[in-house]
Amino acid sequence: MTDFGNRNISRRQWLQVSSSTFGSLVLASLVGDIARAGSGPLAARLTHHAQRAKRVIFLFMNGGPSQMDLLDYKPGLNERDGQAGRNDGRELMGSPWKFARHGKAGLWFSELLPHLAGQADHLCIIHSMQTDSSSHPQAVPLLHTGSFQFTRPSLGSWVLHGLGSENSHLPGFMTVNPTRIFGGPSNYGSAFLPTAYQATRIGWEKKSLRDAQVANAVPPAADSIADANLRLTQSLNRKLLERHPSNQPIQGLIDSLTLSSRMQETIPHLMDLATETKETLDLYGIDQKPTDNFARQCLLARRFVESGVRFVQLTHHGWDLHSNLPHLVDRCREVDQPVAALLADLHRRGLLDDTLVVWTGEFGREPEAQADHKDRAAGRDHNAKGFCLWMAGGGVRSGFSYGKTDELGFEAVENKVHLHDLHATILHLLGLDHTQLTFRYSGRDFRLTDVHGQVVHNIIA
Amino acid sequence: MQHLVHCLGILVLVVNAVMASEEASLESRRDFFERRVRPVLIEHCFKCHGRNNKAQNGLWVDNRNSLLKGGISGPSILPGKPEESLLIAAILRQADDVKSMPPDKPLPQKALESLIQWVRDGAYWPDASPSLVNEQTGREPATNLWSLLPWTVSEVPSVVATTWPTNGIDCFILSRLERQQLKPVADAGRRTMLRRVYFDLTGLPPTRSRVEAFLANRSPDRFERLVDRLLASPQFGERWGRHWLDVVRFAESSGKECNFTYPHAWPYRNYVIDSLNADKPYDRFLHEQLAGDLLPADPAANGDELQVATGFLAIGSKRHNAKPTEFMADIVDDQIDVTMRAFLGLTVACARCHDHKIDPIPQTDYYALAGIFQSTEPLYGTSKTKLNKNPGELVPIGADGHGKHEAAEKHEQLIKKTSAQLDAKKKDLLPQNEEPSKSAELSNGNLVECLKTEVAELEADLQRLKENRPTRPLYSTGARDRKTPADARIAIRGDPDVLGAEVPRGFLSCLRVTSTDLPPPEQSGRLELARWLTHPDNPLTARVMVNRIWHHLFGNGLVGTVDNFGSLGNMPSHPQLLDWLATAFVRQDWSTKGIIRSVVLSRSYRLNSRAAADTDGSVVSNAQAKDPSNKLLWRMPIRHLEVEAIRDAMLKTSGKLDTGRPQSSSVTALGDRLVRDIPLDELQPPSRYRSVYLPVIRDYLPVMFEQFDFPSPDLVSGRRSATIVPLQDLFLQNDPQVRNLAHAAANQLVPEQTDDAKLQDVFLRVLSRPPTDDERRDALAYLEHARATVRDGANVEVEVKTWGGLFHVLFRTAEFRCLVDID
Repeated sequence: MTDFGNRNISRRQWLQVSSSTFGSLVLASLVGDIARAGSGPLAARLTHHAQRAKRVIFLFMNGGPSQMDLLDYKPGLNERDGQAGRNDGRELMGSPWKFARHGKAGLWFSELLPHLAGQADHLCIIHSMQTDSSSHPQAVPLLHTGSFQFTRPSLGSWVLHGLGSENSHLPGFMTVNPTRIFGGPSNYGSAFLPTAYQATRIGWEKKSLRDAQVANAVPPAADSIADANLRLTQSLNRKLLERHPSNQPIQGLIDSLTLSSRMQETIPHLMDLATETKETLDLYGIDQKPTDNFARQCLLARRFVESGVRFVQLTHHGWDLHSNLPHLVDRCREVDQPVAALLADLHRRGLLDDTLVVWTGEFGREPEAQADHKDRAAGRDHNAKGFCLWMAGGGVRSGFSYGKTDELGFEAVENKVHLHDLHATILHLLGLDHTQLTFRYSGRDFRLTDVHGQVVHNIIA
Repeated sequence: MQHLVHCLGILVLVVNAVMASEEASLESRRDFFERRVRPVLIEHCFKCHGRNNKAQNGLWVDNRNSLLKGGISGPSILPGKPEESLLIAAILRQADDVKSMPPDKPLPQKALESLIQWVRDGAYWPDASPSLVNEQTGREPATNLWSLLPWTVSEVPSVVATTWPTNGIDCFILSRLERQQLKPVADAGRRTMLRRVYFDLTGLPPTRSRVEAFLANRSPDRFERLVDRLLASPQFGERWGRHWLDVVRFAESSGKECNFTYPHAWPYRNYVIDSLNADKPYDRFLHEQLAGDLLPADPAANGDELQVATGFLAIGSKRHNAKPTEFMADIVDDQIDVTMRAFLGLTVACARCHDHKIDPIPQTDYYALAGIFQSTEPLYGTSKTKLNKNPGELVPIGADGHGKHEAAEKHEQLIKKTSAQLDAKKKDLLPQNEEPSKSAELSNGNLVECLKTEVAELEADLQRLKENRPTRPLYSTGARDRKTPADARIAIRGDPDVLGAEVPRGFLSCLRVTSTDLPPPEQSGRLELARWLTHPDNPLTARVMVNRIWHHLFGNGLVGTVDNFGSLGNMPSHPQLLDWLATAFVRQDWSTKGIIRSVVLSRSYRLNSRAAADTDGSVVSNAQAKDPSNKLLWRMPIRHLEVEAIRDAMLKTSGKLDTGRPQSSSVTALGDRLVRDIPLDELQPPSRYRSVYLPVIRDYLPVMFEQFDFPSPDLVSGRRSATIVPLQDLFLQNDPQVRNLAHAAANQLVPEQTDDAKLQDVFLRVLSRPPTDDERRDALAYLEHARATVRDGANVEVEVKTWGGLFHVLFRTAEFRCLVDID
């Protein structure tokens, strides 16, 4: 088992790794925290190899976006629209939307994603994704934990286990508007890893983020005795420490109280988007329909990573269009502008270089029409053998397209990338070797990728 | 394969002639194998099926076990039956349905004959231990694993400081320390001991009056008497029952992708608590949980209890949406995992897809156990829905449970029938009825009237039936034998749809016990498994349990990895003490309370927690330098209190704790539901009961549980992690319930008292000690400041808020969250 406990970084190393990322935040106070939180479960740790990404924003499109209508241009499919498909009684269905090339590399985008197309030069699109299950209940936990059969830690928890937190005054792993179905909280849970590695949740899927809060991270009322409370608590704690010199649990608790009071100020401040300029709010589409909710998620994500949250997970629902494919227009309107704004905003703040952004569903969709409802327009069924995702920043090649599906888009045929490969690659970009990042539980050393996973070096810049 | 049988006939005759003089002695069989079989396998087969290579089609030929199990096509050899062995079919190159081997050119005739003869003679393989070499790692499994060896029966060791020990445990601890020239620290103070033993045995702090009574009591056996009283209190089972519930992954929903409620899991929780309170012998406790339904029962006395106990087998996490073969295989896997880890500390479930990589547990052992559990039907309830392909039954409990259940079921049938009749009649009445004859009848006015009357009568009947549903009994999860118990077949690479050889039901081959019964054909074999687990020759069961007890009293087990006594687990720090405790445990009729009592009354348990020089500077700092992790137990470590203890202590201090037991569980009232459809406040309604009674809904634990290291109820967890993160303090600081409790605590103070007297009272109530002078000064200053800040309403309100603030402060302190020295 890798002994991460000995990889606590020195204060100087930490300064080196972080000075480029924190921008306007007050460094001095944070460095003190890191130094003192050095022994805790969230202490920053050294990587296995040089890291390209320091943090991740993981955008989960719950339901499985239809790749041939968004990013996987299939003229061959359009030509054969209406012809017999592979599955009984189903016909091939071309995409009703127009595609065009964008950016220097000429990546294909459908007209549903005009804003994202504007960010083409940041994107690395993988067209040849595969996963093990084409049913939501299995595919969603697979995407988030690498397994549906067994309860395993989520991707974000593994990352915290490997790297620790980049800050000590905020949680290291935040999830915004997660789903309650298909594993629900276990998709951001820590399973057998210490509970400190589970995500801190804000909001729930399908709920407005406007009034959502991190539980118990509320600013103290102006007239409260919070300060006095903290002072007396810490004074009692320090007297206890005098009676038990150099005692880890007590010292740890004293530190955690210092951090909790800072967290209590920081989180509400971070959640308050009023400090953003109107230009930024408009860029994301905040206070505009239909972008408002996801725009808030994306802007929060930027604010979190900017403040040193290691892993941010955003969930957007409604992509499971078995019928009514035209509703894809609505989904895209909800996310297109916010994610494009997120990329642009990260880029202009110098954060995109070492922040990895991943946009994916749990699987993709079939090139055939599914017309099971008489009174509704056709949609598409699930497809685990070929789907599309994009990444940006964090050391991946930009303006790059990787892998291919067959002419019609049924399955990946060239440079296939399995979900385990995606996990291995994300860890690799973070400086972690997926075969070395282990945790001993129940008599063996577990890995996120179990016995699978190949790093996809070809997509790394 | 017709060709094959024919060819074999001829060949076997030839071989028989050649081998006629060969004696079937062990010597000659080994000789035959080494000279005629092994070289052939190495030369012609190892290239593709050897352990250093990727096994082609999953087949390894480097040990007998692998050949018996075979690759994806099934078993390669059937000892004694060459004509039915795939290996022979392959090398004869005559069969249509088996690939010819070796692929490039046929085996030499002599090699061919040797292999056929070898299979025919029973496929002898030297050193025929179940697994010669691990298939994946090529490592020899540990056959001399310490935990599998019999107990070492040791005399209590002699020590130099003969006056220090109070019982045998201390002699083992002290002799190890003395060997390292170390000394234990001084004893803890009386208040410290009182708080320590209260929390350890009951999970609650002592009340102020208890503290004072204990300090006033001067009799020499006052501590012993206190321990006995606490062990006899109902709170003991609530504390120690929760320890066991961690191990057995107790929960009240299925978890996984489609999380269904288990409204009837709670009786098992109560059963565990009651069993610990009754000090049920641990072997009996084990038998009941694994096979209570198969034990002789007195329906009036313990019939329910024995059924409820087997809930142990039914409460694991489950993927209700999985297809039934997978679903069952996963349940069996969960049952093997929990049984073997809870009772033996062995990770047998590792052998589901392959031989255990490190421990001597071949895959065949896994399937020997799988047969037992496959022959068992878990009863967990839930109803059939689109997302639940695998509903189960339940056990009716309580007075005349079965009778009430049947009456209720019959009544439901009647409702269904009446409802169907009603629907039919209503349909007849519809004017657009398509059947012409009926339409014709309908034109007859009399008939319509008649039908209308019938419909009205049926509607009334249905209404009456629905209003008069008989009371259902209480239900519980449980287990029972299937009608036709059967052996399991090996699932090749763990895939339940690709089956290999059948394995007779049985136990672990690495733990041999004398004269044990094997599973009988007409039963699952759970009872025999339970007896094998508690057989006097089985050293593990007692070792694992006494180690669990030690872990809870010292914060670390003698074996640190409490759920893993395999090669990857820790070695015991005090192996002789472990065995001494294990033998004492068995000798004292497996009394859990007996072992706890011995440990708690030892001097070792009474040490203080100071690390640095306070009494005997040189020696203590010597210990700190030589054994900084306190492995040799020269002091009591500072321990974090578990989330239950912190919550219960706040409730108790505030006078708000309901020490009773809820009727069932708040999950019971929710019924069979998908958890995701239930609003969060209904999943975790406010409660004043002890924390052990809060609903354990997988993935939806109470917020406080999530923050304070409550273990994932999907997993066997004998040891909780103990993390310190800022979110914990945010909870204590801002959760409205914590604040309310602090205010409630303030309401208990005597308003007429002076600030000084109240201050004493607050510290005694929360921390079981008076404040020091420094603390008194700081606290008085705080009170003054708080009064000025909160002065916004009536005086009473100001006082409650002010003193509530002080309680709230103390709830957040390290001293309240940890067991430390307080005097």
